[in-house]
Amino acid sequence: MPLLEFKGITKDYRLGKTVVRALRGLDLEIEEGEVIAIMGPSGSGKSTLMHIVGALDTPTDGTAFLDGQDLQQLKEHQLVTLRGKKIGFVFQTFNLIQTLSAQRNVELPMIFQGIRKGERARRARELLIKVGLGDRVKHKPNELSGGERQRVAMARALANDPEIILADEPTGNLDTESGTPILEMLKKLSVNDGKTVIIVTHDPDAAAIADRIVRLRDGCVVAVNSCGVEGESGVPTTGRDVEGSINEPSTLGTTTEGGDSHA
Amino acid sequence: MLKDFLVLAGQSIMHRRMRSWLTVIGVFIGITAVVALISIGLGLERTITDQVASVFGVDTFIIMNEDAFGPQAHGPGGAEEYALDLATLRAVEGVKVAAAVRERTAFLRGPPRSDGTPLQGFFPVSGLSPELITEFESFTGELEVQKGGRLFDVGEEAVTVLGSEIANRFQASVGDTVLVAGEGSAELSLTVVGILIPVEEDEGSRGGFAAAMNQGQNQDTIYVPYETMDLLWGPAKDVLITVVRVNPGEDVDEVADRAEEILNARGSEISAVTYTDINEVIGTMTSTISAFLAGIAGISLLVGGVGVMNTMFTSVLERTKEIGVMKAVGAKNGHVLTIFLIESGLMGLVGGIVGTLLGLGLSAVASSVIGRLFGVEMAVVASPTLILSTLVCSFVIGAIAGLWPAWRAAQLPVVDALRYE
Ligand SMILES: Nc1ncnc2c1ncn2[C@@H]1O[C@H](COP(=O)(O)OP(=O)(O)O)[C@@H](O)[C@H]1O
Ligand SMILES: [Mg+2]
Repeated sequence: MPLLEFKGITKDYRLGKTVVRALRGLDLEIEEGEVIAIMGPSGSGKSTLMHIVGALDTPTDGTAFLDGQDLQQLKEHQLVTLRGKKIGFVFQTFNLIQTLSAQRNVELPMIFQGIRKGERARRARELLIKVGLGDRVKHKPNELSGGERQRVAMARALANDPEIILADEPTGNLDTESGTPILEMLKKLSVNDGKTVIIVTHDPDAAAIADRIVRLRDGCVVAVNSCGVEGESGVPTTGRDVEGSINEPSTLGTTTEGGDSHA
Repeated sequence: MLKDFLVLAGQSIMHRRMRSWLTVIGVFIGITAVVALISIGLGLERTITDQVASVFGVDTFIIMNEDAFGPQAHGPGGAEEYALDLATLRAVEGVKVAAAVRERTAFLRGPPRSDGTPLQGFFPVSGLSPELITEFESFTGELEVQKGGRLFDVGEEAVTVLGSEIANRFQASVGDTVLVAGEGSAELSLTVVGILIPVEEDEGSRGGFAAAMNQGQNQDTIYVPYETMDLLWGPAKDVLITVVRVNPGEDVDEVADRAEEILNARGSEISAVTYTDINEVIGTMTSTISAFLAGIAGISLLVGGVGVMNTMFTSVLERTKEIGVMKAVGAKNGHVLTIFLIESGLMGLVGGIVGTLLGLGLSAVASSVIGRLFGVEMAVVASPTLILSTLVCSFVIGAIAGLWPAWRAAQLPVVDALRYE
């Protein structure tokens, strides 16, 4: 059974009278331990998809199974547990808490799980050393470079040893030099620790580390390429990868930054 | 976990130091006012009850006209007269001594003056039980007579002590006689045994009955033994006040109730007033006043609370994204709520601590000023109950003010909070 199984997922955002359909019948399966790159033009629903996978949001329709659990059947407190324990989120804008030191930021997810202070501090330092910030534990986010901040965020995502790492454009705000170590780390998490890693990205380097690339457009999967090579030549792993592709309705398609994703 | 939330809340407060302090100031102004006013009220009450206690002791009660004391009193210390059978009172079980004061206006004739004619006319006559002087000095204060004179003793009848002023007008001195006309044909010649020493005006604060007697208006009164009044006017219908001491070990309230019942059954219309009764009245009076003042001060506390609420709303708004992040990494709604409540509660508590200290200081200063103004030793009361309840209260006020903003923060959907810029 796949770790993640989405069938016919839709997500509507209601803005006054207009309804924005961010996802329109999306199908996706992800196996445990895979590195998946999700690509697609801006506004195609990548973040929306990530939020649903990460239990930050629930789909409007469709069936969404994560690790055998039906996401739509889960109560709020079960979703909270899921976010806290099973999933680690890395954001494009780091989203560290400015008033807290690097170590306290990493400890934060453990605080909400009620882990004892000593244990917490030990693990936080361990993780910061692992991401190469052993000498920055007392620094506040604004005393760190962008790359360092994202590494703190990586350490935070790993705090409760989650099975799934979700990274929404993790290198989007970084230059190649500081972005590459982040991508390497993500790759290693899959290879060494068997974690499932899902990366939203526009970055060809990121795509290169992926086992599969899922392409979205207008809230649908338009292609799934395996073997990490960007382009149209990939071998589809499922039979429904190009289904229902460009069924352009009026509310969407205007927000894209133009045409295709491989810019 | 609560400790961690405390640290998180504290860090956030320190991060916005200026705004937090301004909020705290809003709280402590109110707390200062409330604490100061209540403390002054308590000090005042303590001062008055201490004075009453020093006069009364625990074994004494007084008897007044039933209209003069208690909830239906016409006015404080209304000097209304009442009928009293002193012998019956003395026979009441548990009574050790009883002394009374009754007063009349009577026709008097003094001794011959230097021109040979006596002064005569209507003057106030006060009948005092000699026990008042011998047994109840705490009530009467020390009565002082001029050199060569004395006060009357128990059992004496045809004697009088003159106020200094009336002595001057009669040109009377110790050994002279004063004629008093009573009811009908009753008439007595009284020997002057003493003349009171006039008291300087500003010595009045010495307190007690003596002070009042020695002051101007009473210096034109002649004082006679209580029993002498009976000889002149018959059974007493004109008693002003009676003081009673109970036997050692007796419950003063019980004896007072008994006396009241017995006397009223014999046709008196009196109230027996004990230390407890007076304290009760003083207590309700001062606490009504303090409650009223504290209520007014409480308004500023309300303003402080609104300040906390305002700060917390701003804090929620500018930390929307932070809330989203906390929830994204596994915070429950309850966690977010708790963090924000602790934060606002802490500001309330700090305001409470500062306010309590300032309030106590202020009340100490005010007490010494009031004390100096009225020439009394004002008690300074730092009530532990007041301090504790103020601290709890200020935390609760802060938390309540933060409740709504905190609840709003907790309810924010994760995704919306994360998108917030
Ligand atoms: N909270 C929201 N309210 C309304 N519309 C939203 C919201 N979130 C996303 N959308 C819309 O849904 C679509 C998909 O957004 P998103 O998933 O963020 O795209 P991507 O991450 O691929 O750029 C966009 O048209 C966006 O405007
Ligand atoms: Mg996005």
